[in-house]
Amino acid sequence: MLAVENLRVVYHDVISVLNGVSIEVKEREILIIIGANGAGKTTLLRAVSGMIDFYDGDIIEGDIKMEGNSIKGLDATDIMKRYGVTYVMEDRPVFWYLTIEENLKAASFSRWDKRVKADMEEVFDYFPVLGALRNKKAGYASGGEQQMLAIGMALMTKPRILLLDEPSLGLAPLVTEELFDIIKRLNASGITIVLVEQNAHASLNIGTRGYVFETGRIVLDGAAQELLENEDVREFYLGSGEKERKSYKDAKRYKRRKRWL
Amino acid sequence: MIDLLQTLGTGILVGLVYALLGLCIVIIFKASEAFNFAIGEFLIIGSFLFYTLFFNETIPWYKALQLGTVIFIFFSFILFYDKNFRWRIALPLGITAGFLIYCFFFFGLKLSTLIASPILRFAVAFPLGLLAAGLVGAMVERVTIKPLLGRSPISMTIVTLGLGFLLRASVQLIWGSHSYPFFLDLPDITLEFGELLFLSDPIWAGILSLLIFSMVIVFLFRTRWGLAIRATSEDQAKAMAFGINARFILLIVWGISALCIAVAGIMISNFGALQVGMGFVGLRAIPVVLIGGMDSIGGALIGGILVGICEAAAGAYIEPLGLVGFKEVAPYLLLLIVLFIRPYGLFGTVRIERV
Repeated sequence: MLAVENLRVVYHDVISVLNGVSIEVKEREILIIIGANGAGKTTLLRAVSGMIDFYDGDIIEGDIKMEGNSIKGLDATDIMKRYGVTYVMEDRPVFWYLTIEENLKAASFSRWDKRVKADMEEVFDYFPVLGALRNKKAGYASGGEQQMLAIGMALMTKPRILLLDEPSLGLAPLVTEELFDIIKRLNASGITIVLVEQNAHASLNIGTRGYVFETGRIVLDGAAQELLENEDVREFYLGSGEKERKSYKDAKRYKRRKRWL
Repeated sequence: MIDLLQTLGTGILVGLVYALLGLCIVIIFKASEAFNFAIGEFLIIGSFLFYTLFFNETIPWYKALQLGTVIFIFFSFILFYDKNFRWRIALPLGITAGFLIYCFFFFGLKLSTLIASPILRFAVAFPLGLLAAGLVGAMVERVTIKPLLGRSPISMTIVTLGLGFLLRASVQLIWGSHSYPFFLDLPDITLEFGELLFLSDPIWAGILSLLIFSMVIVFLFRTRWGLAIRATSEDQAKAMAFGINARFILLIVWGISALCIAVAGIMISNFGALQVGMGFVGLRAIPVVLIGGMDSIGGALIGGILVGICEAAAGAYIEPLGLVGFKEVAPYLLLLIVLFIRPYGLFGTVRIERV
């Protein structure tokens, strides 16, 4: 469905963030992308969604294809309208000074038609909490509610691919669990999901496939279950594996093993 | 007592015009967090465009030709040219627009020969002039502000400073710096109760300003475009991520702002004459928005009225004591006092803090 081919992204003309990344998203899957801070996960999502311009980044090499059509360099709104790629930014991207209902309306701006009202009710079905707060300013909602609202807003754009950037950021484990359940339900209803997460364990549990990023490259990929059992992932992202302290030498060994796509 | 009422009334009527000026600053500030210092120049451009329409002013061909060419370039290459190669639309559109505007300036519209009744002529020329002013605002935004989207608001503010000088010089080149008599010939609605007297022109100015002000508010708070503008003014990145084209929203906001400034400009010119130097009236918007709060639309209304009253009161009570020209300073003194008490202005946003 969505294919990123050998993508290189540079910020401010000097800071190289993605150094040749190729990923493929298949229809109706939950793709998990994990990696340390600064590995380039968010940048990848920005590049795919067309927001990279806004952050003064440039795609200097490679291509992004949606069902065979190149979407590289298109406006964010064009990508969303034509190809149904919706990007939910990290840190709960809701409009604080608008009410929850207005937030949902604003998100449906790109496709204003008579079905907006019905879609809004559908969102309230997914997230009953929001229905109770519909006339409250979104800034006063709790973190979990805001994240749910953000996903609800993304739903209002009728996405085919949902790019979620760390939805569990700053949420309690229970809320995270609830959120991931909803993500699973959304996936079951036919939306392809690309999930960028720090919370490797929980996300790999709901995902179908996964990629591991490191300093702008993909070092590992495979089915989510395989990744969960992978010794390196267990060690570096899940914090389990062998309990004794590792020396730097072993960390290097891991680096040597990485795959260069 | 009569004196006081008279002063208050006059102050409020002028204050409504100032409120409109403040609104223009506030909506741009909310949308892009930049302060538009070119407001005075937008004011004279709007007034001159209206003047050209209403009074059959024409411009010699050697000036109109340059103007047409510039507008052609604007339209064809900046308004439409982008990565998707829309120049196939842009080139013919640009040529047409440039030619039309050239004709408009060179031959004039001759509205007064077409429409005899002054009130009807006003009704035709007013929206046309506003539309032209809005277009100018939108074009200016495309050239100067759009490339800066996502950068620091300070750089936009500095750009508007430079833009002000450029626009003023252009107006001076095209229309010259002498003053033009400006008389709208609107129906006389002078009010007189006993010893109170309110002149027709300020009443018209107040009514029209209030009308435009409320139209903008209805647009912002009751329509989907207004909702998109409010969303964009909160966070451009978030808005873009949810499919609101922040660049286009900014264009609309600048267009609306230029349009409202033109209304204020026409009303202020109607008090006296129109000339390039009048642009400094636009700076009266600074105390208005600072008193009301930079990001509060209601604050702009209150601030405008306060400044108007303050000015009128200073003119009526303090200037006769021998302090000639105190009227010009009084709003700034009021501003100083307000800022001492409330540094964010009277109605500056209460920041939402989650608990």
